[in-house]
Amino acid sequence: MADRTALDFGGLAVRELVIAPGASPITQAIAPGEIVGLAGLDGHGQELFLKMLAGLEPPHGGSIELGASGVSRKITGFRKAVASGIAYLPRDRRANGIFPTQSVLDNFAVSTLSRDTRLGLISPAARKARYDIYREKLSIAAPRPDAPITTLSGGNQQKVLLARALALEPAILLLNDPTRGVDVATRHVLYDVFRGLAADGMGLVILSSEIEEILLLCQRVLVFRENEIAAEIAGDTLTTDGVISAMFGRAA
Amino acid sequence: MVLRRNLFATTNARVVGAFCVAALLHLAGTVLIPGYSAPFAIRAMLVLASLLAVASIGQTLVVIMGGIDLSIPFVIGFANVVAAQLYGDGWNFVLVCGLVGMLALFIGGLNGLISRSLDIQPLIVTLGVGMVVQGLVLLWTAGFPSGSAPQAVSSFVSIGGSAGPLPVPWLVPSLVVLAALVVLVLERTPYGRRLYALGSNPGAAPLALIDPVRMWVITYAASAFFAAVAGVLLLGFTGSAYGDVGQPYLFQTIAAVVVGGAALVGGRGSYLGTIAGVLVLTEINTLLIGLGFQPAAVQAALGFVIVLLVSLYGRERHVSTTI
Amino acid sequence: MSPVARLLSLGRNFGFAVVLLVVLLAVNLILSPGRFQPGSWGALVGLAAPLVGAAIASTPVILAGRGGIDISVGPLMGFVNAFAIQLLFLGAGISSPLVLVPAALLVGALVGAANGFLATIVRIQPIVATLGTYLILTGVTLTILPAPIGPAPAWLKALSGPLSMLPLALMCIAWWLVRRTPYYDQLMAVGSDDRAAYTAGVDVTRVRFIAYVMTGVLGGCAGLMLTALIGSADPNIGPTYTLIAIAAVALGGVSLVGGRGGVAGAAIGAIDIFLLQSVLTTFNVSTFVLQIAYGAILVLAVMLTALQERLAMGRR
Repeated sequence: MADRTALDFGGLAVRELVIAPGASPITQAIAPGEIVGLAGLDGHGQELFLKMLAGLEPPHGGSIELGASGVSRKITGFRKAVASGIAYLPRDRRANGIFPTQSVLDNFAVSTLSRDTRLGLISPAARKARYDIYREKLSIAAPRPDAPITTLSGGNQQKVLLARALALEPAILLLNDPTRGVDVATRHVLYDVFRGLAADGMGLVILSSEIEEILLLCQRVLVFRENEIAAEIAGDTLTTDGVISAMFGRAA
Repeated sequence: MVLRRNLFATTNARVVGAFCVAALLHLAGTVLIPGYSAPFAIRAMLVLASLLAVASIGQTLVVIMGGIDLSIPFVIGFANVVAAQLYGDGWNFVLVCGLVGMLALFIGGLNGLISRSLDIQPLIVTLGVGMVVQGLVLLWTAGFPSGSAPQAVSSFVSIGGSAGPLPVPWLVPSLVVLAALVVLVLERTPYGRRLYALGSNPGAAPLALIDPVRMWVITYAASAFFAAVAGVLLLGFTGSAYGDVGQPYLFQTIAAVVVGGAALVGGRGSYLGTIAGVLVLTEINTLLIGLGFQPAAVQAALGFVIVLLVSLYGRERHVSTTI
Repeated sequence: MSPVARLLSLGRNFGFAVVLLVVLLAVNLILSPGRFQPGSWGALVGLAAPLVGAAIASTPVILAGRGGIDISVGPLMGFVNAFAIQLLFLGAGISSPLVLVPAALLVGALVGAANGFLATIVRIQPIVATLGTYLILTGVTLTILPAPIGPAPAWLKALSGPLSMLPLALMCIAWWLVRRTPYYDQLMAVGSDDRAAYTAGVDVTRVRFIAYVMTGVLGGCAGLMLTALIGSADPNIGPTYTLIAIAAVALGGVSLVGGRGGVAGAAIGAIDIFLLQSVLTTFNVSTFVLQIAYGAILVLAVMLTALQERLAMGRR
């Protein structure tokens, strides 16, 4: 597995990645259509790992490569990551996600503005059409798309942010605790969306602070402890107890 | 209270509100002062308002982005003096304008670059850069600038001028076109939408593929450029160069932007609102001077009106509602 | 270690403003030993006093955070100057310090309370609210005092030399006392994170309001110091202090975002600026060059402070 190049399987290849000085390197491959969970006690490296995949943090060693549409590209920064086909949904909606004074439409389109331009000007019709696709897909409840995003519930704000990420049409979607502060009904909508995306061939990496969520969604879980992968759990051994034991550094 | 907050909740309502205030002030002036609505008086007001509106374009952009530009008056003075001096030395005026514009873009770009890349308060940076610029100009002219504007610029802004069939100088219709362009850029271009987003939440901007340093450099460069345009226009208006010609514009541009409904914390505001703010300020000025107030009293009244208007619709949220 | 690196490391320990202070003092002593001989230190302190006072006065509201700033400090100084001389001394014939000092402080407190009311209760952005009071105070000052007039009472003029240490010391003692109170902790808490402070039960509005009143009172005091220095009333001098004072505060390591720094830093920043002016004057260059160097060094100093903070952050 480790000697496969990213191009071989069209996914994300992580090679000898060191996320903190002194930690042992991580080699992983995230294939299209796969949902991989990241778990661990707060601050044990799982968030750092996710951010490095997004090019938001420089690694202490090793490389990350994405193979998509026939080319393999090294991830060296956030812009490079996005251009290569990686989208990242941040954890703190208020601090790093929404633009509170801006409308739902603005918030949706901000990362993909150039796709709606005609002769340098944004076409409101094109933008609205693009938004409608995702509104349908994610069942966003926003009566007026030109109202400020802060008029929406937390769950719907999160859906708009997810729509923003999906609008980039990524090959790999990195989700940093995507259901934090989201109501139960919306959570299940999001779970269905995530499964649908994977079924359509997108690779998903989900960091979650709730183990049940990971068990519900993921085929494979990487449990982090002290900036290293303490356990990789998949299949029948994927149980709450197994994950918790690994989180606390005990043998399952 | 609740009703009023709802009424002025959106930027659009604030803009409409500011236009209404301007109209009411004009009505008051017409009733109180004979000749207030005479053609010449209105032309004078339109020209003064247009000059302030040009100088306020940059401040509007910068404030939407969450910054502030105190270098505007210094750049106005710089453009005013340098253009006059070089034209007086026999340079081609188009060349002069090109040079002044390039230098202004450089000054503004420097403001943005220093403020953003080092994360320093733009208040201090623009003030310092502005002082350097003014000092350089004073040094170059030894404090006694000379020269004047070509006739074309003077008639472009002259109160008595006319634009074809219109009884106003070309400045006024040109400003209308320019304003439409600015509004279009803010509302309908990727740059404009990014500007609002960056001002609205600087922490989220990089994740939305917005490069803050690039945006700050571009926007401050634009601010200085329009300040330079205002400086050249003022040269035509006053007839001779004067290094301190921009000084009244320091607080007036900020006041116009704020009265027009922009929030100095960024993400909110519009150029249409700034135009409304410019009209309000021009009306108050004209009205009070017409009523026989001394300039000092006019200034005090201006301060009073700014506070009054902003307390009507520019209130921030209480900390308890931001948690 | 290169001299620059040594300077930077000194800066990390003592604050960049202090290093600048030492350097500027040394340069001044070398360039103009006559002007800086011990005998004339008193006069120098007197010259620097109003700026130091203005910087100290500007500090509390900036510490209170969320865009807290008071650009009306300069005009307030000008207004106190005109009010004390034109209205009280020349107008009403009152010269007793027992009336003039409390009156000046009261005026300051009232203006500060007005700013505080606008900025914290009406909740207008502080820079706009104080811009309003800036214009009002400048206008009113010019109305009651269209042209400079003199003189000032003898006791006040006496405060211009070495004795200008007295009001400065009083300001510092006042601030030192504030630091002993629980209010100070609340102020810094509100300045660094008002939401957290609010959830912890701090009355954010009250804390900020008091900061504005403090700035007003200190500004009133700075106004008297200005009066002592110029020994007359001049409507045009006060407003020029505003931006320089804020620059001094920033130079002194007070974060304009709030919650970090203190009065000592602001005072040192102000002394830096004064010494800088002094150095430039001794070069006997034109006022134009003076202005260029002044603006450039202001920007450079703030840049160096930011870089030094960055280095300090990176080391942690």
